[in-house]
Amino acid sequence: MTSTVSRRDFLKMGAASAAAITLGTMLPPKVAQAARQAGQLNAEGDGYISSMCEMCVWRCGLIAKIKEGRVVKLEGNPEHPHSKGKLCPRGQSGLMNTYDPDRVLTPLIRVGKRGEGLFRKASWEEALDLVASKMQGIKDQYGPEAMVFSSTHNLSQPLFENLLYAFGSPNYGTQRSLCFNAMITAFLLTYGIEEPSRNYENVEYILMVGRNMMEAISTSETSELSHAIDRGAKLVYLDPRYTKTASKATEWIPIRPGTDSAFLLAMINVITTNKLADCDFVKKYVVGCDDIQEEMSKYTPAWAEQITGVPADTIERIAREYAAAAHNAMAHPGWRTSNFINSFQTERAIATLNALSGNVLKLGGCLSAEVAAEGAGLGVLNQPPYPRISALRLDGTPWKYPLVPLKLGVFQELRDAIVSGDPYQAHGWFISRQNPIMSLPDRGKTIEAFSKMEFIVTVDIIMNDTAWYSDVVLPEASYLERYDPLLPVGDKAFIRQPVIEPQGDARSALWIYKQLGERLGLGDYFQYEDEEDYIKQQLAPLGVSLEEVKSKGYAELPESKTNGQITFNTASGKIEVYSETLKNAGFSPWPTWEEPAMPGENEFYLLTGKVAQQTQFGTQNNQLLHKYSDEPRLWMNPKSARDLGLSDGNWVEVTSQVGNAHVVLLVTEAIRPDCVYMVPGYGHLSKGLKTAFGVGASDSALHLTYTDPISGSQALSQTFVTVKKA
Amino acid sequence: MTEIKHKAFIFDATRCIDCRACMVACSVENQIPMNKTRIWVSGLGIMGQFPDLDRASIVYHCMHCNEPDCLSACPVGSYTKRPDGPVIYDPDKCIGCRYCMNACPFSVPHFDYDKGLVECAFIDKCTMCPQRIDVGLAPACVATCPTDALEFGEREELLTKAHERIKTHPDRYIDHVYGEFENGGTSYLILSHVPFSQLGLPELPESPINETSEEIMGMTIPIALGWGALLSGVAVGVNLYNNNKEKHNSTDAKAEADK
Repeated sequence: MTSTVSRRDFLKMGAASAAAITLGTMLPPKVAQAARQAGQLNAEGDGYISSMCEMCVWRCGLIAKIKEGRVVKLEGNPEHPHSKGKLCPRGQSGLMNTYDPDRVLTPLIRVGKRGEGLFRKASWEEALDLVASKMQGIKDQYGPEAMVFSSTHNLSQPLFENLLYAFGSPNYGTQRSLCFNAMITAFLLTYGIEEPSRNYENVEYILMVGRNMMEAISTSETSELSHAIDRGAKLVYLDPRYTKTASKATEWIPIRPGTDSAFLLAMINVITTNKLADCDFVKKYVVGCDDIQEEMSKYTPAWAEQITGVPADTIERIAREYAAAAHNAMAHPGWRTSNFINSFQTERAIATLNALSGNVLKLGGCLSAEVAAEGAGLGVLNQPPYPRISALRLDGTPWKYPLVPLKLGVFQELRDAIVSGDPYQAHGWFISRQNPIMSLPDRGKTIEAFSKMEFIVTVDIIMNDTAWYSDVVLPEASYLERYDPLLPVGDKAFIRQPVIEPQGDARSALWIYKQLGERLGLGDYFQYEDEEDYIKQQLAPLGVSLEEVKSKGYAELPESKTNGQITFNTASGKIEVYSETLKNAGFSPWPTWEEPAMPGENEFYLLTGKVAQQTQFGTQNNQLLHKYSDEPRLWMNPKSARDLGLSDGNWVEVTSQVGNAHVVLLVTEAIRPDCVYMVPGYGHLSKGLKTAFGVGASDSALHLTYTDPISGSQALSQTFVTVKKA
Repeated sequence: MTEIKHKAFIFDATRCIDCRACMVACSVENQIPMNKTRIWVSGLGIMGQFPDLDRASIVYHCMHCNEPDCLSACPVGSYTKRPDGPVIYDPDKCIGCRYCMNACPFSVPHFDYDKGLVECAFIDKCTMCPQRIDVGLAPACVATCPTDALEFGEREELLTKAHERIKTHPDRYIDHVYGEFENGGTSYLILSHVPFSQLGLPELPESPINETSEEIMGMTIPIALGWGALLSGVAVGVNLYNNNKEKHNSTDAKAEADK
C-alpha cells in the first residue's frame, strides 16, 4: 500500500548526510563536541544523552542512545516522573520522526498553485525576509489583527506568544477548544484551577467518563491506573465503545453518547438524597451545600435511565459504591469526555462528585486541587511589555464567549470568522507545529478559510497537510535535534537538548522566532544570543551551569512552599458547585442537564477517539508507528451492518452534512449499534507524506462545527452520519 | 522441571493493553526491517456479544524453551541454548533447511528471504537481547512496557511471583502458569484470565516433544542396523533357498532329460 524504507536503508541515508556534515567542517559537530565535553559521548561519538519526548504533550523524560552521531534507540528516563523509565509506542518510535524520509530540510517557497505541492528550495535568508516582508505588509495595510497566529501546545510557545503579541495581533488559535476547553473552564469555575492532579496511590474507586487511558496513553498515569487496577481498585468506565480501557475496567457502561452528565447528575442525586457525602468537608468548603439536594432532586436514577439507557439500579449502586469509597474515590476529569455541547456540564458534575467525596483535600488526595507554583525559581528573560491590542478577537473571546479564558480561545470560531470576514477580514496566517486542516472540524471549510488568505507560512518538520497548502514552509529541527525552554515538573526543571545535529538546514523554533522578530523590529522580545543563552538565563538564579544540566538532564528547583492551608482560587475561595459567575453570565449556576442533539432515522453517532499508536494528526507518517498500527477502518456493530446489508471489509461511503468519506468497514461487537467510530488523523491530503497518504479516511472531513457557548469547546461527537456501500 | 535456573520473561495478559510499545522497542533495538517483526499479537481479540464482551490477546515471541525443538531439529548446530536462558541462532552455520521452523511448536522461527539470499542469515527470531541482558538491562520489550505486563528476571523468582498472583486473585486468573511445564518448561511464562487456547497457545505435554523425538531418533542406528541385519538374513535365506530350489530344479530337469 505504501512504500517502506528498511531501517538499513535509512541508516545508509543518514550516514550520507552525516558524512556531508563532517566534510563541511574540520571541527567536530557542535552537539557531539558538547556531549563529549560533558562526558556523555566517548571518543567514537557513542553514548547516552538525556532529553525529553515530544511525541505527545505528556513529555516523558528520555535517554537517547547515540552511535556514531545517530540516534539508535530511545529509552524512558527513570528519573523523570512522567516516564519512570518507560516510553509508550509513540515515544519508542520517536527517532523515526527525526529520520522520516519525508522531512522538510530546507526552507521552501511555493511555486505552483496552493495545494498543488510545488515548491522551490530557498535559503533561510530569503525565506525569512519574504515571511517578514509579507507579515509587515499585511500589518501596514490592514492592521496587525489581520495576521492570525496559531500553534499547538509546546515548550517554545512562550516565544511564539511573544511573536504574536509583540506583533500586535489578538488572533491566536490553539488546539485547546478542540480538546479540553470544557474540562478546564469547568474546573476553573468550580475549583479555581485548570487541571487537578490525580493521585492513584490510595485510590479504590475510579470513575472514568470517556477517558480512554489505556489507548490515549499518558505513560506514568496509564501505568499508575494499571497498577491500581492490579491491586484491586475498581474502575467504572463510561464509553459507547468497548475500548482497551473498557476491557480492563471492573464495569463497562456502554452509555448512549452525549448523556454522561445525566448519569453523573443522578449519581449526585443519590449521594445528596441519601446524605452519603463527606458532610464536614462539604459544609466547610463547598458553596451550594445547603441547596444542592433540592437542586438535584429532579435527577433521579429513574429519570437518568430514560436518557442514558443505563438501568436505574445500576446508577444507584455505582453512586453508593462511589460514596462508600469516600476520600479514596476519584471521578477522573479526563480531557474531552463525551465531546458534546453539554460536555461542560459533564465536567461540572465530575467536579461536584469529587467535592462530595471530599477527596480534594490536600496534595496526595486522589484528586488534588492544590497546585504548587511550578517553575518558581527559574530566571525570566527581560522583555518590554506588549503593545496594547484593541481589535476584537475573531474567535469571539471574550465578547461572544465571556467565560472562555483568553489563552484557550475558540479555534473553530476563528476559522469561521476568517471565512465570513466578520467582524473583519484576516489576510495572513502564521502556523507553527500545528495542522489545522486536519484538526479543525469541517475540513472543507478550513480549506475555504485558507483560500481567503493572502499569505500562509507554516513551521514544521514534515510536509503536513497545512504546510502543503502554505506559501512558505520553514523547516524546524525535530525534538531530538534542538533545544527548547526548560520544563519544570515538580521540584525539577527538565531540559530538551539536541542529541544529534539538526539535519539539513532545520533550525529550532527559538531561532526561527528570534530571526523573524528581529526582521519585524521586535528584537527586544527575543533577548537571547542563541538557544543555549536562553537556557543559561533561565538557570541564572539557580547557580547551576548549563553543562551540569545537560549532563544530568535536569536542574533542581528550590523547594516550593505550601502552607498547608486549603484555599481555592475562586471568587468565594471555596469550591463553587453553585457558581455566581455562571449565573451572572446568564447560564445555570448549578451543574445541569442539557439535552444533546440526537441522530435522525438511519443516522449514526460518529465517534472519534485515540489509538495508542498515534498522536492526533501528526504521527501517521512515522514508519514505525505505521508498521504497528491497525488499518484505520469504520467500526460498526454487526446488527447494524446486517440491517444495512454490509459485511466486514466492505468499502463504505460515510456521509455527514458537510462531507463524505470512503473507508473500509470493520464489523465489531465493540460498539453500540447506534454508533460508528473512526480513528482520527488519517486520510491526509498532503502527498508529501508518502507513508500516510492514501491510508484511511478523515473524520475532520465529516465533523460539523458546534461550539459550546459556555466553554467554547467543539462538540466533536455531535456529528451524525449515514453509511452505505461504496 | 522447576529447577531450571536461568532468566525468563513473565507476561500477564490481564495487564497488557496491546499498546505495542514492546514491538516498536524490539524493532528499533534490533534494527528489524520495516516489513518484519520479532513480536506478534495473538489471541481471539474481542469475544462475546455486545454488551457482554471480553478481550483476549497476548504478545509473544520466542519462548526460549529449556529443551528447544529448533535446536534438536537443526542438522548443523545453528542453535544453542545459553546457560542463562536465551536460545541463540547462529546464521554462519545455517544452511536454510527450515527444519527448525517445522519443529517449533510455537511457529516462532521465520524465514527471511531478503537476508537469506544476501547475507545467508535465513532465520530470524527473538534473541532475548543478549546485548542488553549481558550488561544488566532488561530486554528492550520488557524495559519499555508501560503497564509492566512484561517482566524479566530469574525464572524461579518469576514463577513464585506468578503463583502468588494467582493465589492473591484466584477470581482473576486461570490457575496455571503457561510455560512452567509446557514442552519441558519455557522462558516465556504466561498468566491469563482466559483459557490459553483462546490466546492461540498450543496444548503441549509436560515432557518436551524433542525428548520423545530424540528418543525415537536415538533408535535410528539400532533400528537401521537391526533391520539391516534382519533383512540381510532374510536375503541370505531367500538366496540359499532359491539356489537350492534352482539346483533341485535343474537336477530334476536333468533327471527328466535323462529319462
